[in-house]
Amino acid sequence: MSAPAGGPSAGPRLTALDRAPRADAHERDENYQPVFVNARRKELDELLTRYPTKMAALLPALWIVQEERGWVSEPAMAEVAAVLGLTPAYVKGVVTFYTMYHQHPVGKYFVQVCTTSPCNVCGAEDVVRAFLKQTGASDLGATSPDGRFTVIEVECLGACGFATPVMINNEFLESVSADRVPSIVGALK
Amino acid sequence: MTEGKMISVTIEGRAVQVPEGTSMLEAAKVAGVLIPHYCYHPGLPVAGVCRMCLVEVEKSAKLAPACATSVAEGQVIHVHSDPARVARQGVLEMLLINHPLDCPICDQSGECELQDYTFAEGRKDSRYREAKRFNPVEDFGGDVVYVPNRCILCTRCVRFMEDVAHDPVLNVSERGDRAVIGKFEGQDLTHPWAGNVVELCPVGALLSKDFLNKARSWDLDRSASICPNCTQGCNTALESRDNVVVRMRPRPNEDVNKYFLCDEGRLNYRWLNRRDRVEFPHIRRGDALAPAGWDEAVEAAAAALRGRRVHVVASPSLSNEVLFQLAQVIARLGGTGVFRVRQGPEAPLDGVPGLSLRADRAANVRGAELLGFRRTETPLAGLANGDALLVADEELAGADAASLAAAAATAAAVVVIGTTLPSWAMRAAVMLPIANMAEEEGTFTNVEGRVQRYLQAKAAPGLARPGYAAMGDLLTALGDQTVNVVPSDVFRALAAAHAPFGGMTYEGLGLRGATVSAQAQPAALAAAT
Repeated sequence: MSAPAGGPSAGPRLTALDRAPRADAHERDENYQPVFVNARRKELDELLTRYPTKMAALLPALWIVQEERGWVSEPAMAEVAAVLGLTPAYVKGVVTFYTMYHQHPVGKYFVQVCTTSPCNVCGAEDVVRAFLKQTGASDLGATSPDGRFTVIEVECLGACGFATPVMINNEFLESVSADRVPSIVGALK
Repeated sequence: MTEGKMISVTIEGRAVQVPEGTSMLEAAKVAGVLIPHYCYHPGLPVAGVCRMCLVEVEKSAKLAPACATSVAEGQVIHVHSDPARVARQGVLEMLLINHPLDCPICDQSGECELQDYTFAEGRKDSRYREAKRFNPVEDFGGDVVYVPNRCILCTRCVRFMEDVAHDPVLNVSERGDRAVIGKFEGQDLTHPWAGNVVELCPVGALLSKDFLNKARSWDLDRSASICPNCTQGCNTALESRDNVVVRMRPRPNEDVNKYFLCDEGRLNYRWLNRRDRVEFPHIRRGDALAPAGWDEAVEAAAAALRGRRVHVVASPSLSNEVLFQLAQVIARLGGTGVFRVRQGPEAPLDGVPGLSLRADRAANVRGAELLGFRRTETPLAGLANGDALLVADEELAGADAASLAAAAATAAAVVVIGTTLPSWAMRAAVMLPIANMAEEEGTFTNVEGRVQRYLQAKAAPGLARPGYAAMGDLLTALGDQTVNVVPSDVFRALAAAHAPFGGMTYEGLGLRGATVSAQAQPAALAAAT
């Protein structure tokens, strides 16, 4: 795949990766072990007391899965469906609707770079390029060979006054420029 | 909906009164105006996602979705005004952005609402110049194949599976311009009523594998019919091409099947096209059955029966008319009439109370009972020594050779009327070929006692005649003076002779049917004269 340089938007490329056939056993999550056991089960049970129906707890239940496994595989959708009394098809519809649920494994560090208009004007695309170069990820949405990094473009992170904001997992970094990227990535390696 | 309170509205200049709570779209139907729509379907919950049914309401700031807006007193609604037309044109242009326009190879072509509305009021060209999205065809299991490129995401299929079938195996996957109808791997459309999503789909996105590439819709001849595959009596349209039935689809009837038909019924039509049909009357000549003319054969049948009691084994899928004629034969000669019913698993459609694929897999069980026939598992057991055996369109499949041989030895004569000639029937003295249900008109009485008409869909092979006419001639040959060989006449005589059917006529039944009187007692066979 070509480098993202000058690409107008990450949308189409991310789409292609999202739809890639789940070729290997890892992507199919063949050795899936249930998430909702012991402490996670307790967490879910506590969660369910705060919602009027089991169905209403679907989004937070999926967040638990993603927190635990880093992504939401098809077997995970089936498990969530079973514990909440839904059908797997319904859960899959919800998971695929929200872009923040990962349908494929991502790196240990999930890097989201804001490339919306103001950041773009302030050089966000250089930041994206720098992250790809430093992490070794081949393309937006792809995971680096060492399995540690996945870089994507993201729509407005709500910090236009501090372009370019970057989110790495739950950490929020402001005013990131291309020359700061090597030290950021280096600290995580 | 409040009972009684009526709302007056004007739609396209036509004043109508509808009950409070009626949607604009349904009110327009009352006014005889079709408001174009995709996601709305009267058998499904309202979604309001397609935006096709936007109409102009006077004194209202913006257009209203007619499917999701209740009428209000004094409203003046315009469906074909400029603002409404422009809105629909915009919706159509958007729907066609990713639509492949592959009508020449699409099964839906000719019965496609996207095609119809685009032709009626769409733009003459598209302003979209970018590449269209592409998603591969997917097998949804059951009888259904999904062509995502043609899909307009009206979600009728998703709502049917969730709210009517109560088996939500379909979803909308992804969102925005990437959205498609999806399912979970390994969970297919195997619900016994899932095939209805093909009918509900307004475009060519969900197609029947059974009908795939079989015919163009404009080549089909359509006849109002009744599904003959169980006692539910779902209203259907039999669609044939070149005298071959190629498809059976549901025909709406609020009182019976709403808009639906189960897969078992839908797909079980091929027997109507059987090629091993008997095309000529046959008479025994020595060791073999030889072709004969109708007059000769009917006379031979009368001769075989005359002066004997008769044991009639009838198919419970014969029409009320044929069964009535047979009952008259029994009344004239004395004897018994029995039938047996093939069984299958029951499969209810959860969202529609009272609608189910019934365990009794025959169309007219109730009719046979009301006309005095007795249900049995051993139809040959009641045959007394010296009786004549009259088998009517019953192949006796599964009956063991010993009981068939015993019956042949017991019977003084065997007369067969039917569509086919099973091997045991080679012993018959006379064989009279009759039309199957697609080749004649008649009525069935369904499990709830609803008498419903079906019309002829194709021609019978060779000299085969409708059973009511053949039996009418036989009755004449046996000395009956009434001569009823036209189905409406036969039915009138039936209604006169059997109290539960009292007062019914073909005209009165129309194509919606009527229910037999629950109070009236069915007559016993012997009293059927």
